[in-house]
Amino acid sequence: MSNIAGKAYAMNVITPIRSRYSFINRWLFGKATKTPAALLGLVTLSLIHYARWVIIPRNSFPHLDASQPKEELNYDYMIFQSNFNGSWAQYVDSFTFAIPAGLDLFWKWNVRYPKSVPLTPFHDYIRHNQIDTCHYYSAYPMAASNDVKSAKVLKQALCDFDKASAGKPADEFLTDYHALLNAMQLHLGEMRPTPVVSMAAQAVKDRHSGTPEKVQGFKGANDSAEPVENSASSRTPPAAPLSSTDAPEYS
Amino acid sequence: MTSSVMERQAKVAGKTLNLSDIQGNVVRAYGHIGYFHARYLFFRINDPGNARAFLTRVAERVTNSAYADSKRNTRQTTSKASTNVAFTFAGLQAIELPAGSLMGFPQEFAAGMKKRMSILGDEGSSAPEHWDNIWQKEVHLWVSINGLSNADVEERYQWILRQNKDSGDGVELLSGHRGAAGEEDLMFQTGAILRDENGNPSGKEHFGYRDGISDPVFEGQPNAPDTVLGRGKLLAGDKWAPLAPGEFLLGHLDEAQEYPKAPMPRSLAQNGTFMVYRKLHQNVATFRRYLDDSAAQFEGSKEMLAAKFCGRWRDNGAPIVDAPDDAGKKCWDARFEAADAAEKRRMLTDFHYNDDIDGARCPMSGHLRRMNPRGSLEFGQKGAFNTPSALADRRRILRRGLPYGQSGPDTNDADDHGIIFMALNASIERQFEFVQQQWVNYGNDFKEGNDKEILLGNHTGEGKAVLQVEPGSGKPPHFLTKLPRFVECRGGDYFFVPGITALKMIAAGIVDPT
Repeated sequence: MSNIAGKAYAMNVITPIRSRYSFINRWLFGKATKTPAALLGLVTLSLIHYARWVIIPRNSFPHLDASQPKEELNYDYMIFQSNFNGSWAQYVDSFTFAIPAGLDLFWKWNVRYPKSVPLTPFHDYIRHNQIDTCHYYSAYPMAASNDVKSAKVLKQALCDFDKASAGKPADEFLTDYHALLNAMQLHLGEMRPTPVVSMAAQAVKDRHSGTPEKVQGFKGANDSAEPVENSASSRTPPAAPLSSTDAPEYS
Repeated sequence: MTSSVMERQAKVAGKTLNLSDIQGNVVRAYGHIGYFHARYLFFRINDPGNARAFLTRVAERVTNSAYADSKRNTRQTTSKASTNVAFTFAGLQAIELPAGSLMGFPQEFAAGMKKRMSILGDEGSSAPEHWDNIWQKEVHLWVSINGLSNADVEERYQWILRQNKDSGDGVELLSGHRGAAGEEDLMFQTGAILRDENGNPSGKEHFGYRDGISDPVFEGQPNAPDTVLGRGKLLAGDKWAPLAPGEFLLGHLDEAQEYPKAPMPRSLAQNGTFMVYRKLHQNVATFRRYLDDSAAQFEGSKEMLAAKFCGRWRDNGAPIVDAPDDAGKKCWDARFEAADAAEKRRMLTDFHYNDDIDGARCPMSGHLRRMNPRGSLEFGQKGAFNTPSALADRRRILRRGLPYGQSGPDTNDADDHGIIFMALNASIERQFEFVQQQWVNYGNDFKEGNDKEILLGNHTGEGKAVLQVEPGSGKPPHFLTKLPRFVECRGGDYFFVPGITALKMIAAGIVDPT
């Protein structure tokens, strides 16, 4: 189980919403998608891959087989799904700091929604209703959404430049190349592995991939409980073979 | 409770900060009252009873923040030296704080700095095995002395040692600080303001930048209205307001309109804060060489390039967004020279990046932009967030450090010089650690991928940074390549700085969370 793959975090939150009000939420969602300015804050939060809200009426949950018992639900349910970069806290905090009013509008009719400010009740609400991700795959474990967006821009610009500059004299080429660099100057960040999102996530990852823990080798009296100079061989090997091409992600 | 009631309460709380209950250096930096010399002592608690007796004596002379109210307290009314006290989590355990109180502390504080090395990027030459000897020991207690002169500091130092002796040596002064002449086991860490060629305090650090110009301003600080420009939080319409005191002081409402996570009982947390102590070694020779080498390829003066690294010019601290190049700097200097003191202060702090969305003036990886992006994480989308600086307001820290060591013209990296960095905040994880990890050693929030902050990033000699130029000018951006590590950590830990009442409670052994 992990909500994290590469640089991305998958969040699923399911919250009950009173049936008699859910049509208001649908109307709000519809209105928001038709007025881009309303979503400006969300779009501007550059750590977000995407965010999606869906309302499932209480009698519309998928019924896969006749043997599946029929649910008796008191509420409709709102599903919030998002993929983002960084830590859970950074994401939820950013939401609260940046667009508190928008959040309150989207969750307004949800049962026991505490409002996004103060922070702690909102944290608790999301944690309580979050469904952890069972399987999560990232095709680009070293890329944040910003990196993907930049790569797309950069690739197109390079292809265009390649076409346009064929056969140009050297000095003209250089001028054009400088102009290209200028136009691309905000898309040149390096791609390397993610920083450690949390100590807990790192510990799970290290245990799973068999790499030694990062805290090693120092001799501190207050760290006597900490493994000193632990080696990879003393660790449990990975439980399952990992794909050879990917960074050691776990499912 | 309605938000207007909460706002009013925050205001009232801010206006009535009990300065006498807050330790010195918190509300106003000691540098402002001429305490240019410091010693940092670290103790181990061997006998909790005698240690409490020692703390009871010391608490009588612990300096509070009353001097911060300059209307009532001038430099003349403060003593020649100060004393302040803080505890590591291990120290609070050693002094036998009840478990119920201990459990109320945040997890990152309980873990301590060493165990957070992966979050902080303390790897390679910054890894704990390279830290000063003192950090290979279990540190419990931090006692700082700041003073007008070295003699004043020495006198207070002797007084503190005497109190320990007279109360039965409950604590043990730990040795293990590196020194200028290659010593490894000094009994204390010294810090002192650097002076210019005339012997006047320069306010600069070893790379030559003026340090500590725009610390955050929060409600309840005396004179906040004069100083808030560029230092508080940025509201719509380019207005500035002081931050909520709970961003820096426990027991007060914070920017999320709640009380910061803090231990019980309330009186233990009230007016306390958390301190990040880091000895940051500066590779001065490497820095100078790298600057020289890069300047040879740079279009503009060497000083302009140095200003790009930081976001401020080295001589007078001119913000590069307002003095973007050599010509612009001349104009800025002329205005600065003609300005009165208040206007000078405004010129140094009152700026944002609204007209520099592309980083053409202050680069995206420049020190200032990374440390405090102000409103720039809105990326020019005005009105996108609740307030322009919404993503920065809860990441602010108070910086209370001093340089240590000397760095003459012939200095080399092996010499012992740098900054004793002390940051104060209500949440080490949300504030200091976040900035260190996400903004110093990573760049996604600035859309710079993994590019690190130029000066503080834990570079390995491979990294690069882009110094953006005017978009549409046709000029290529300037690339800094093979960035070496300019600053490395030589040790430190997380400390709890209690309010004065709380300190006396701890010393008396009467903390009771039931």
